[in-house]
Amino acid sequence: MGISEFFQHLMNGLTLGGIYALIALGYTMVYGILKFINFAHGDILMVGAYIGLFVFDGLRGDAPLGTWTFVSFFIAMLVSMVSCGLLGMAIERIAYKPLRKATRLAPLLSAIGVSFILSNSAAWVFGTQSRKLNYPFDNTPISFGGVVITPHQILILVVSVIMMVTLKLFVDRTRMGKAMRATSLDQDTAMLMGINVNKVISMTFAIGSALAAVGGILIALDYKVYPTMGTMTGLKAFVAAVVGGIGNISGAMFGGILLGLLETFGVAVFGIPTGLKDTIAFGVLILILLIKPEGLFGKVEKEKV
Amino acid sequence: MKKRLFVFVAVVALFALVAAPVFAQGGSEASSPKIGFMGPMTGDYANYGVLSNNSAMLAVEHFNAKGGFNGKLPVVLVTEDTEGSVEKGLSAIEKLSSSDKIAGLIGPVFTGVSFAVGERVQNEGLIMISPSATHADITSIGDFVFRTVVSDGLQGEVAGRYFAEQLGYKTMAVLYAKNDYSQGLFEGMTASFEAAGGKVITSESFQVGDKDFKTQLTKIRSANPDAIYIPNYTAEMAQILEQATQLGIKIPFTSCDGFSNPEIYNLAGDFTDGVVYVGPAKVKESEDYSNFVAEYTAKYGVGPDSFASNAFDGTNILLSAMETVYKKTGKFDRKDIRDAVAATKNYQGVTGTINFAENGDLVAYQGLYKVNKTTPEYIGTFTVVDGKLVQID
Repeated sequence: MGISEFFQHLMNGLTLGGIYALIALGYTMVYGILKFINFAHGDILMVGAYIGLFVFDGLRGDAPLGTWTFVSFFIAMLVSMVSCGLLGMAIERIAYKPLRKATRLAPLLSAIGVSFILSNSAAWVFGTQSRKLNYPFDNTPISFGGVVITPHQILILVVSVIMMVTLKLFVDRTRMGKAMRATSLDQDTAMLMGINVNKVISMTFAIGSALAAVGGILIALDYKVYPTMGTMTGLKAFVAAVVGGIGNISGAMFGGILLGLLETFGVAVFGIPTGLKDTIAFGVLILILLIKPEGLFGKVEKEKV
Repeated sequence: MKKRLFVFVAVVALFALVAAPVFAQGGSEASSPKIGFMGPMTGDYANYGVLSNNSAMLAVEHFNAKGGFNGKLPVVLVTEDTEGSVEKGLSAIEKLSSSDKIAGLIGPVFTGVSFAVGERVQNEGLIMISPSATHADITSIGDFVFRTVVSDGLQGEVAGRYFAEQLGYKTMAVLYAKNDYSQGLFEGMTASFEAAGGKVITSESFQVGDKDFKTQLTKIRSANPDAIYIPNYTAEMAQILEQATQLGIKIPFTSCDGFSNPEIYNLAGDFTDGVVYVGPAKVKESEDYSNFVAEYTAKYGVGPDSFASNAFDGTNILLSAMETVYKKTGKFDRKDIRDAVAATKNYQGVTGTINFAENGDLVAYQGLYKVNKTTPEYIGTFTVVDGKLVQID
């Protein structure tokens, strides 16, 4: 393998990993606070992508690439984030809240149900063919001595990092973040201390879903928009979150990048047949669960007595 | 006494109630003959199924407008959705054959589904005419399996010969999907390209539904072949073409009849310029074809793809075979219909003159196209005779 091919694989792996990281952040945030895996996350992402697509196309019309496309893309993203935030809160209210005191399995199953409802409704309403979301900017690739990267790939990496830092600051430094951490530790005690736990949980879902919307729109630029777009990517992002230590925000970022690199190099260097690419992620999931179930960056939680 | 009479009447009434539909069904075989269509009507591949189903509907409409069988019996078309999956296809043929009691099947659209459904129609003695199942082995399932599309055997042979002899490629890379259609074309093209003196230096595969092809494309980029062959469906080809551009790949792309579906220009219109693909042979100066395209386009808002044109001819051949059988016997016997289709001689369809080979394959030619921006331009009609590429016109 030539040096430029190696670096190209590295770049491909990093950007693929950036996509996983982007989605894994939303997964991990909800889990970190509620100890609950929102399996509908990937489908909220899909809804976000559709909303983004319609708003962007509607605002843009036939305008050529320029400031206006950029502005309308930004507006589309904001609209999509707000709508998905509301959708996330509604889902929590309808499908998860009544089950809060039930066994741990109940909300998980409910989440899988929500996931199917969302993707099937989308197939019914929008049809199942892929739709193209046009780039709002010039996506001509940039070449560094044979190693090529597109502006879109850079954008994905940058947005993932920004999202990770902002999320961390929000959870660690703000009043709401503090309330979230308290809720995460012990809901009943938090309530006794005067924290509005219902509001905190609603807020968590709103933020998680808004993050999903951002991820959905950015991924759709490359992968197109279709009803099952969140399924496989969502599952892989979940694996990434587990690898990084679910609940750990920087762990999700790291897990995503690692998974992207493993998938790329597993095929390119270790000669795993390309048809088996998807099995790499799930092989890693099994390994992590066997060897280090708390994830690479997770804390071992002591059972409270 | 009264009570006994009441019981008797009740029993008779009950019997009539239960038996009536049975008799009615027995009698209705001759009163409303049905044919079936099967293809992906929803899902990522719906573009293929919908276009072909339109053709079947159009053919049926024409037939019924002329009065149907013997000028009085209209035919009914029953459409089933497979979503391109084998499981859905099997339950669809179950329904069509046993519940709808169709006289013949147009479809399935996909090769993988056709393998499974082909076994079933063969066992049930029901004729099937696929407009698009191209794998070389489809027609070897049995004598009830026909197609109005060229076998990959020929498509791959013409492709490999043309790439080597006319385009002068010495080395090629292939990026194909792990399904029967794509893999069949990959193997056929490779065999004939290498027989013509070329060499396939790298072949990469992927799973249907994949969206990221950068790893495979990066490996191909390093191998630096003269051209890349991508025998796939539009959803994947669109991703491949776009990501190849993103990786700065300037190697020319070649493709197969899947490229003749216009959806590719919606999804990847910026990247289709210069692609050479093997598709249906164009029938020049055929008034039938231009009439068909005009009527189809006026009716459904889009033009037919090559599979749809095949489906139109397939449906018409099936209907005229049924008519022959009905005139002779007054019934729609499945075996008789199969024999009548097999006896088709120089049928003038919209895709040209149609004859079936002994095994149910279409006797045929291939067309070559080169895309100029987003418009395919016709290069010529080719076939392979005794291992030699022959240009017809």
